[in-house]
Amino acid sequence: MTRLLLCASLLLGTLPVSALASAVKNPDTYTYVTISDSDSLDPAWAYDTASALIILNVYEPLFQFEGTSTSKLVPLIAAKVPTRGNGLISPDGRTYRIPIRKGIKFQDGEPLTPEDARYSLLRFLLQDRAGGPSSLLLEPLTGYTSTRDSKGVLRPGVWRDVNRAVSVDGDDLILRLPRPYAPILTILASWSPIVSKGWAVKNGDWDGTEATWEKFNNPSKQASPFFERANGTGPFALDRWDRRTKEFILVRNDHYWRKPARLKTVVVKGVNEFGTRKLMLQAGDADAIYADRPLLSQLQGLPGVQIIDDLPTMEMNPVVFFTFKVNPVGNSFIGSGRLDGNGIPPDFFDDPDVRKGFAYAFDYKGFISDVMRGKGTQATGCIPKGLPGHNPRQPVYRLDLKKAAEHFKKAWGGKVWQQGFQFTIAFNSGNLPRQTICQILKRNVESLNPKFKVDVRSVEWPTFLDAYQASKMPIFVMGWSADYPDPHDFAFPLLDSKGDYPLTQHFSNPEVDRLVEAGETATNPAERRRIYARLQKLEHDLVPHLVIADTVLYRTQRSWVKGWYDNPIFPDSPYGGYFYPLWKQ
Amino acid sequence: MVKYVLKRLAFLPLVMFGVTFLLFFLLQFLSPEMRASLYVKDPRQLSQLDAVIEKYGLRKPMPVQYGIWLKQVAHGDLGYSETAKMPVADAIRAFFPATFELTLVTFFPILIVGVFFGVLSAVYRDRLLDHVTRFVAITGYSLPSFVLGLLLLMVFYGHLHWFPPGRYTLDTDMLVHGSAFHHYTGLLSLDCALNGDWAACGDVLKHLVLPAATLLYISVALLLRITRSSMLEELTKDYVRTARAKGLPERTIIRKHALANALIPVVTLSSLLFIGLLGGVVITETVFDFPGIGRWGVQAAQQLDIPGVLGSTLLAATLFVLANLISDILYAVVDPRIRVGN
Repeated sequence: MTRLLLCASLLLGTLPVSALASAVKNPDTYTYVTISDSDSLDPAWAYDTASALIILNVYEPLFQFEGTSTSKLVPLIAAKVPTRGNGLISPDGRTYRIPIRKGIKFQDGEPLTPEDARYSLLRFLLQDRAGGPSSLLLEPLTGYTSTRDSKGVLRPGVWRDVNRAVSVDGDDLILRLPRPYAPILTILASWSPIVSKGWAVKNGDWDGTEATWEKFNNPSKQASPFFERANGTGPFALDRWDRRTKEFILVRNDHYWRKPARLKTVVVKGVNEFGTRKLMLQAGDADAIYADRPLLSQLQGLPGVQIIDDLPTMEMNPVVFFTFKVNPVGNSFIGSGRLDGNGIPPDFFDDPDVRKGFAYAFDYKGFISDVMRGKGTQATGCIPKGLPGHNPRQPVYRLDLKKAAEHFKKAWGGKVWQQGFQFTIAFNSGNLPRQTICQILKRNVESLNPKFKVDVRSVEWPTFLDAYQASKMPIFVMGWSADYPDPHDFAFPLLDSKGDYPLTQHFSNPEVDRLVEAGETATNPAERRRIYARLQKLEHDLVPHLVIADTVLYRTQRSWVKGWYDNPIFPDSPYGGYFYPLWKQ
Repeated sequence: MVKYVLKRLAFLPLVMFGVTFLLFFLLQFLSPEMRASLYVKDPRQLSQLDAVIEKYGLRKPMPVQYGIWLKQVAHGDLGYSETAKMPVADAIRAFFPATFELTLVTFFPILIVGVFFGVLSAVYRDRLLDHVTRFVAITGYSLPSFVLGLLLLMVFYGHLHWFPPGRYTLDTDMLVHGSAFHHYTGLLSLDCALNGDWAACGDVLKHLVLPAATLLYISVALLLRITRSSMLEELTKDYVRTARAKGLPERTIIRKHALANALIPVVTLSSLLFIGLLGGVVITETVFDFPGIGRWGVQAAQQLDIPGVLGSTLLAATLFVLANLISDILYAVVDPRIRVGN
């Protein structure tokens, strides 16, 4: 037995480190191993990067950003990009004529028509699920951000408004805006995936008529055939979404209107355990993996593995959000639901002193140096570096436990300090920086007063999204990636009372809303800068959230992966992104 | 014997009633709102929770609620699991076969290795073989499964590229989800064999090797030690001395006399091991990215997916009862005194 063990260990020691360092494994199949499972594949529902990654590769929008550019567009479903020069944008900037490309077929073989483009946009606007992406197009096309009022009741005239905004004239799609809206084309570049009307109706989705649209508004996630199936025009078709193994199989669309992709198959797989992801990369069974900054040292020097670092981002991530009014129904995150030492009341974070207490209890510098390995600087506001409106001289919070204690002592008239509290902070499973943020907050806040108890819970991404949308988490750590490269895309979703996060947080401030709107309509760059500086000063004072770091990212891939380029606008960039240009060699 | 088995079977519904009642009783510690989430299949219903509470009588006395719930369960409606993103009954159908297959592949080697080396260890007490098996048993017992799992992955996957994690490779994946593939049993390796695709069968088995080896190494230790101590006890008893005095060969004494008696505690432990494996081995399933019931159950618990937790617990309880029944029957087979006494 002893001799056998000795022989085995000697044999292992003499083996090459990796026999696969150079040979291309599965040359036609690209496997990306990540941590997240998708929420939904419905282009009008999905508003998370994991879902958007699949949608990007299966469906196609009217336009797309060219290569690494975040400003130059190329037409996809559209035959041309409208400009004032080519006469497809009216002189008043309110009418866009978008010619639809001919000869495109959906993956089921049916031809794409301008009516499909119209139906897709109407569906996107009218579905308008709570917390979804519809506001991105509702705002420029109708002037309002939701089809429902603050009480959840449908606005009158929505059908009329959206039909006035989106119509078809011959082979052209016509968009009529209530007022000029400069970023409209860049929004359409990510948020106009064209679906097949025929396929949708055949499979029980909205039939495109006025009579049924209200029933279709704000639907349940699983009700739509688009939830787990897809029929796009993109370079890959969805073969299967296996929710059991958290795996997507995409197969090449051989009838793609451009040159078909070089890859035959793309696998996107969720594996939470980093060790397993790393071994899959090492063995060549994964071509690219998701890995946070703290894990970089474990990936450096692996044979056949390439690290591409210092990639700019267009995101504000991570951000710690406070929910001003937590939904207490069936909510385990807030303990007893009272300020009795065993829980928190639903409006616990409505008190600015509580929020400031947390703001001063976070170690921003330590997080950047230890977790982000020094790659980044403290964020100064919700607008990231690289976008107009970013203000590096903005006041910021620093770790100051004395000040944190002062604020906690003042909070709730002294009751917080006296009674203590207990609640749960959540992060999405597998996200190490977000997990560390929760742990830093827990450690520092609990060190202030033995009656302060903060639990940290790891939650799977789809469940996390559900809890977030239902306003159940008193504090949650998330981030925001740009939908289009404009500061308004950060100011609105992170600060405006109708924005994605404030709606969930129940945060609202009239002055903030006024400034967000002023920033959106201002055309003078200097004026815009002033508005956003004022807005971010208010952001600092009101503390609806804590912005942590402006950082850079890195990509880990096998050296045999060719054709990859970074465009920070692509979902899940730089880990996921667009698979069409990739091949293995 | 038949009478004995029938009697045991008659107890089954009673035990199941006890288990479900206990589960339901524990659920009463949650607020009606939280329990209402059992019945909410559509997020829009969240705003109508009062109506859901009213409809299902969640503020009514516990026995009434229990009756309503039991009726639902009897109809196979266990609610909707948010973590699995499918109804609980579907989730059990989706996740359980993988765990069952892993259990089958693991359990019998555990039994054979554990009993065989346990007996040898007792027979060769304090000799080299005994020391080696005890050393192996102690290391197996004390080594955390995630450490062993990762070590095995590093060597046999990262280094040698022999046994990958997951359930199967992409080719097998495409094959088993193709329209031509027939799912006869739900056990993939067997189904692949029945479909005549031996390459796929080999691929599935290859993916089972490392999780099975991890479980084998960790689980066999206890069985080995129990077999050894039980066997040692039997070997010192009078009837063994008598048998030796009668001149019976040592092999016969061990096989036919001592082993049969030493197996009683082994049967108990084996049934517990079997249940433990069937209930899902969470860490092993996580490390090897194996889509089994244990990983789902823990995710459901972590995320307070009450229908998921209830469903997986109910399954575990049912399995426990069944395994107990089987071990009771096996007792009777191994030791006739039990069925006579009964």
